[in-house]
Amino acid sequence: MTNRLKKIFAVVIPASAVLAAGAAWFVTRLPASSFEKTGSQEEPSAQLVARGEYVSRLTDCVACHSVPGGAAYTGGLKMVTPMGAIFATNITPDRETGIGAYTLADFDRALRSGVAKDGHRLYPAMPYPSYAKLSDDDVKALYAYFMKGVPAVHQENRESTIPWPLNMRWPLAFWNVVFAPSDVYRPDTSKDAQWNRGAYLVEGAGHCGACHTPRSLAFNEKGTDSHSAAFVSGALIDGWFAPSLRNDPNTGLGRWSEDDIFRFLKTGRNDHAVVFGSMTEAFNNSTQFFSDDDLRAVAHYLKSLPGNAQRDGTPWKYEPTQAAVVQPAGRQGIPGAQTYMAKCSFCHGTDGRGQGQWVPPLAGAASSLVPDSSSSINVTLNGSGRVVAAGVPDSYRMPSYREQLSDGEIADVLTFIRSSWGNRQPPVAKGDVKKLREQTVPASSSPVILKTR
Amino acid sequence: MELNINGIQHHVDVEPDTPLLWALRDDLAMTGTKYGCGLAQCGACTVLVDGQAVRSCVTPVEKVAGASITTIEAIEQDDLGKRVVAAWVKHQVPQCGYCQSGQVMAATSLLRQVPHPTDADIDAAMVNLCRCGTYNAIRAAIHDLASGSTDGGA
Ligand code: FES
Ligand code: FES
Repeated sequence: MTNRLKKIFAVVIPASAVLAAGAAWFVTRLPASSFEKTGSQEEPSAQLVARGEYVSRLTDCVACHSVPGGAAYTGGLKMVTPMGAIFATNITPDRETGIGAYTLADFDRALRSGVAKDGHRLYPAMPYPSYAKLSDDDVKALYAYFMKGVPAVHQENRESTIPWPLNMRWPLAFWNVVFAPSDVYRPDTSKDAQWNRGAYLVEGAGHCGACHTPRSLAFNEKGTDSHSAAFVSGALIDGWFAPSLRNDPNTGLGRWSEDDIFRFLKTGRNDHAVVFGSMTEAFNNSTQFFSDDDLRAVAHYLKSLPGNAQRDGTPWKYEPTQAAVVQPAGRQGIPGAQTYMAKCSFCHGTDGRGQGQWVPPLAGAASSLVPDSSSSINVTLNGSGRVVAAGVPDSYRMPSYREQLSDGEIADVLTFIRSSWGNRQPPVAKGDVKKLREQTVPASSSPVILKTR
Repeated sequence: MELNINGIQHHVDVEPDTPLLWALRDDLAMTGTKYGCGLAQCGACTVLVDGQAVRSCVTPVEKVAGASITTIEAIEQDDLGKRVVAAWVKHQVPQCGYCQSGQVMAATSLLRQVPHPTDADIDAAMVNLCRCGTYNAIRAAIHDLASGSTDGGA
């Protein structure tokens, strides 16, 4: 080897060793927690535990960390990613299989930084990029609740099915640097207190963006706060199109008042819509338990997010049902019209306007006006889950039509719905129905409702 | 809640989202209207609201307060309804009978809208289910009614 080469190696090898060591340190290091100095805590007050229980409703931990039939917070929910399935973990205070050995600082790192006690990086299916915005007080309360308010259950976690090398977690440390906000919510001083509370709930605790914000190729949410036009602008997730929560005139909340939003989150329904798809679970276990003030704050904040009038085109306007559809003879010439009259019209009305707040309209509904037809297809195939408001199950529920209607019939009836009453979407493809039929299962009529007392 | 049923004003003490079927059967003891599925799938619960066939199991009472509701108990007070029932008897349509109050309502509503329905019209409008398979008898009775050979006294 020439001297020159030797010299180069003499520099390059130690340098890369230092870099590698640095990187290794970086990807396994425990991020800072504001609770590092907090020693072994004194017994939390009952008040703090109760406060934590409320925060757990805001953050809706139970949505993922429980499965039907399983004990609360023991995990097990399967989440399918393009690389394989991952399973939510046991977060009861069991010392071996749960988080019983976690200190407040450990808990904080998992919650707000996505790093488990042993240093491994959590997948961002755990919405820590949103939870990063939680206040220290709320984290403390949540910890008190999980340690003292939740019964410990011994239940092993399930391994993910993501194969090597994709299952290596350390690259997530770099993902976090680029994509995960790492600061608590900072109030915008140009806005009032109610707006700021709403922002805290929507962007942070409620992690609405986890479903409603579109993700880019690296799976990060394209926007994480009110400054981004992509934030909660609607996204496809798990076979549902979570609609825009911005003021888009057709596909968002443009036609909803603050009071409409409040009632939707409080009772699960209003004259525009009834919760369905994954929102049923978010309602059953989370939003209905928000205090009225918190829900009003959410509504106030959401109504401040501008819509995209250009994307939506002409604002929707109701048009009456074509006369032929109402005639037994006439409707047979219109694809989908007979199925609509025989299967849908008794609830949603021959006029497509539903029945007050009890049965949602299809005319002008976001699901009918958004170009992605997944939600329309999914709810027709699988029906909707039971909505349980204040302990009372709903009287009216969308049944599953997967056994009754073929792919072609579903495509036709949805094409009819999505092009009637002022709705103007192109035909629904039979192939899309087929695909979703294979990927989804009927909604359960016995929902998981967490009883915390 | 005030409901006008078969020409009589009834007061029922129920939540506004209560299905009309519950108000009829449980509160007013009018059990001629049947409960099949509760999900708008079968038609056993069909009644007429302002002459239109609706499925009472998915109709919130709030929606029909102020409307004129007709149930099977009073269908024969209506001329057309009376003829339909007579044709049903003549053709011995019912088997177990469970779906038939709904079928009679659906047929009455169809004949009011289309006095001389074709087979295709019948297929399009008569979508109530019958476990006993009385569909052919229903079709024959409706054709009979359309041709006018069944009068009220038959
Ligand atoms: S009971 Fe109403 S349609 Fe079946
Ligand atoms: S006669 Fe028995 S269900 Fe129709």
